[in-house]
Amino acid sequence: MRRWRAWFARVLGLAGGPRRDRDLQSEVESHLQLHIDELVRTGTPLGEARRIAHLKFGALEAAKEEYRDRRGVPGIETTIRDLRHGLRVWARSPGFTAVALASLALGIGANTAIFSIVNSLVLRPLPVRDPGQLVQVQRTAATRSLSNPIWEALRARPDLFARAAAWGTTTFNMADGGEARPVSGLWVSGSFFETFGVRPRLGRLLTETDDRRGGGADGPVAVLSYGFWQRQFGGAQDVVGRPLRLSGVPFTVVGVAPPEFFGGEVGRSFDVAVPLGAEPLTRPRSMLDMRSGWWLTVFARLEPDQTIDRASQALREIQPSLRAATMPPDYRPSDQAKYLTAPMVVRAASTGVSGLRSAYQEPLAIVMVVVGVVLLIACVNLANLLLARADGRRHEMSVRLALGASRARLIRQMCLESLLLSTAGAALGLIFAAWSSGLVVGQLSTATTVVQLPLTLDWRVLAFTSVVSMLSGLVFGLAPAWRATRAEANDALKAQGRSVAGGRGTLGGLLVVAQVSLSLVLVIGAGLFVRTFTSLADLSLGFNPRPLLIVDLNAAKSPTPAEARLALFERVRDRVRSLPGVAGAELSAVTPLAGQWDQIIQNPEGLSLPEDDRDVYLNAVGPDWFRTYGTALIAGRMLTAQDSGQTANLPIVVNETFARKYYRDRQPLGAIVRLVGNAKAAPMSIVGIVEDAIYDSMRDGVPPTIYQPLVAGPLASLSLTVRSSTDGPSALAPAIAAAAVSVDPTLSVTSQPLSDRVSAATIRERLLAILSAFFGGLALLLAGLGLYGVVAYAVSRRRTEIGIRMALGASGAGVIQLVVRRVAVVVLMGVVAGGALGFWASRLVQAQLFGLAPDDAATFAGATVVLVLVAAIASWWPAYRASHVDPAKVLRES
Amino acid sequence: MGSKPEVQQGTLALMVLKTLEALGPLHGYGIARRIEQTSGDRLVLNYGTLYPALLKLEQEGDIASEWGVSENNRRAKYYRLTRSGHQRVKREAREWEETTAILARFLGEKA
Repeated sequence: MRRWRAWFARVLGLAGGPRRDRDLQSEVESHLQLHIDELVRTGTPLGEARRIAHLKFGALEAAKEEYRDRRGVPGIETTIRDLRHGLRVWARSPGFTAVALASLALGIGANTAIFSIVNSLVLRPLPVRDPGQLVQVQRTAATRSLSNPIWEALRARPDLFARAAAWGTTTFNMADGGEARPVSGLWVSGSFFETFGVRPRLGRLLTETDDRRGGGADGPVAVLSYGFWQRQFGGAQDVVGRPLRLSGVPFTVVGVAPPEFFGGEVGRSFDVAVPLGAEPLTRPRSMLDMRSGWWLTVFARLEPDQTIDRASQALREIQPSLRAATMPPDYRPSDQAKYLTAPMVVRAASTGVSGLRSAYQEPLAIVMVVVGVVLLIACVNLANLLLARADGRRHEMSVRLALGASRARLIRQMCLESLLLSTAGAALGLIFAAWSSGLVVGQLSTATTVVQLPLTLDWRVLAFTSVVSMLSGLVFGLAPAWRATRAEANDALKAQGRSVAGGRGTLGGLLVVAQVSLSLVLVIGAGLFVRTFTSLADLSLGFNPRPLLIVDLNAAKSPTPAEARLALFERVRDRVRSLPGVAGAELSAVTPLAGQWDQIIQNPEGLSLPEDDRDVYLNAVGPDWFRTYGTALIAGRMLTAQDSGQTANLPIVVNETFARKYYRDRQPLGAIVRLVGNAKAAPMSIVGIVEDAIYDSMRDGVPPTIYQPLVAGPLASLSLTVRSSTDGPSALAPAIAAAAVSVDPTLSVTSQPLSDRVSAATIRERLLAILSAFFGGLALLLAGLGLYGVVAYAVSRRRTEIGIRMALGASGAGVIQLVVRRVAVVVLMGVVAGGALGFWASRLVQAQLFGLAPDDAATFAGATVVLVLVAAIASWWPAYRASHVDPAKVLRES
Repeated sequence: MGSKPEVQQGTLALMVLKTLEALGPLHGYGIARRIEQTSGDRLVLNYGTLYPALLKLEQEGDIASEWGVSENNRRAKYYRLTRSGHQRVKREAREWEETTAILARFLGEKA
């Protein structure tokens, strides 16, 4: 109570300083006068009395200072004063301040930008009620998705959790035929919105009664996301009750979800959510009863007093019966045993799930470290420049020390100046971050998958930025402050001596070494990532994607009977072939970089390979496939139209990898290939070998691949690859869609240039390459600037010495050598340290590299050359100027 | 600074309060002189240090001040005890007595 009162008085005391100063002055004067009066009364002469009174009072100014400190709040008062002083200091050297602010803004801004992405993707809880209570139920520790039979078994046990929900993702088509209009969809259990604790923005959300197979009481119903409602319906208030056709099925809109709700997956938002029970209506082959269809994500909300351990325990208890009841019948015995025993896992899921997160966690961590190092370099840079200034301010500091300022006070003031700078830099950095983080996230989206990651400056981001800016302020401010205040009070009294050599060598030199080595690490990293990207981009795919357009044809709504669908697709193919600008077209079951179809083959004759080595990839293709893709035949023959009629020994073509792997020194042509576990499949006979081409992944290399003829059967969709006679195949899309619709108006058509897929497949590598190159360049620039500043300063301090040397006959080249030699030693040390650091660090990012070893000699050498070049330019200029010093002028000055 | 003991931290406040309790309203110089006299000139008091202490007591509400005129017609700032100041003197004096009594026992104890 008493303390509060005192603080209150002191805060009040902050105001009215001058008046209170006068008051104190009068009080002190009256004190002295009273003392003198008394002394004089007792017979002391006036002069002596005055002396004694002053002596007895003690240090007058110190007492006043103490009094003032006590009167106000010293922290605040002096801080305000120091801040004003700091502003004046920075305003005095605008050039320096601008460079410092720019490098800090870039450094802190980059850190904030990347952190805000990390925050949105990794740290921020889902925007739902009590996200901390959410858990995910996983099939095993490693695999997350569940089958619908498992979900239904879980749903039948409401005692396990407070609530549980399942969802699967899909793309609906809003068009009934022709070019598809894709809509990002969710199949959700009736409990979905309730489990997340979401309230409708409009109308109602889904309930258990909606989630019945074939549609609930209100028939097939749909809930719109807020964004879709705005985009598609212009935010119409009467949207509830309106019809919405999804994949040819009429749904009724019953409500709109709130704006912040994007579902349980971070980075992906849904447009419409429909009940799981409606899935059979929209998909030709329902997965609801498929025991090996892993397409559902299951979340649950724990009871308030329930722990994850207890929930796991309860789940494990019912697991044996649950697993036995949902056993996929087509599993091999070894897999069945695994299925029974692999324990289900309950995992905290307050931050939701995210494919984007798992794909980008490591690249983001790398970039986070990179921007951290950039900021560190910027700080070291500033520290070095400030060290130079600190030497210049020694006079000021010694004067202030002489006037009674304490060293701690001066250090505090200089740190405050640095903090002022870093705070201003952080403020600018926030602007830079807000702009650039959106730019980076924009890079993640591809033509087909739009990444939606709401980036907000929430408290985490702001706290991060404040801490970072404060730390940087201390990092670059403390050493110079310490240095400046090492001045002695009596230095000020001495004449401004001209010293020949500065004592600043070691610390400044060390900072340059640190800077050079850190920059080298970043340049090495940039080199590795850029080369990874280029080696992926230049990767031989086995075909040239540029003229190719992939057209997915979907006949799910066609009245044509399933058995006649192949003929239907072939008619479309033939129609497309006759279009102008089309150089070729062929059907296939799978297209490159989209999905996989793999099976185990039986051991080829004479081999006994384990199952894992007998996993081969398949595709069913029309006879013209290889010509359309430009894949060359190596041996044997291509497939023909007659091959699909074969029942015994179906003719197949295999790729080189297949032939090499399974028929190393034997003749593959004519060999018989049998699939495992599928008794119905006829044996196949190899009739040709073609060049390798990538299948579903660019990084994983070419798998052993079997191309079999397209066989008539119950088909819903096939892909048509169209070769354009030009490199811009997208222009053909409308004509192709029209051709397809003219064959069958119910056909749905989606087209995408294959080159889009190729660039989408390297998006992560491209992003890493761009970011690391940008920051590597920034680091080089900062290192160059820093080196220039240090050398220029060193030269200016040695002007006299250089002048004397030149007067004594040193040549300009000699002077340049003198300056450069010292820099060279420092840079050399930095290069050695940076090389070692880079050698260690590159090992950590090995997983992100492709086509080169982490210690790739060319990259290391190239990075070193670039860095040395920058260092040479940065130090040559001041050295050159030094060599043009006019000795006569310098000597006159001294 | 000197060989005489300086005023211990924290005790100066109590001395000031006790002085004001004994003598009533008094200016800073008077308080300082009185403290020195009471100590039998065994304490050295830098008069300058008194004023921050007075300000602290005033901020804590134990004393109040106003300008007045001294007996020899000098303008001076007079300090007086407030009600909470009176209470504080009693309490702290008691606490000090206890502390010194305890300490005296310790110091008097022969090992």
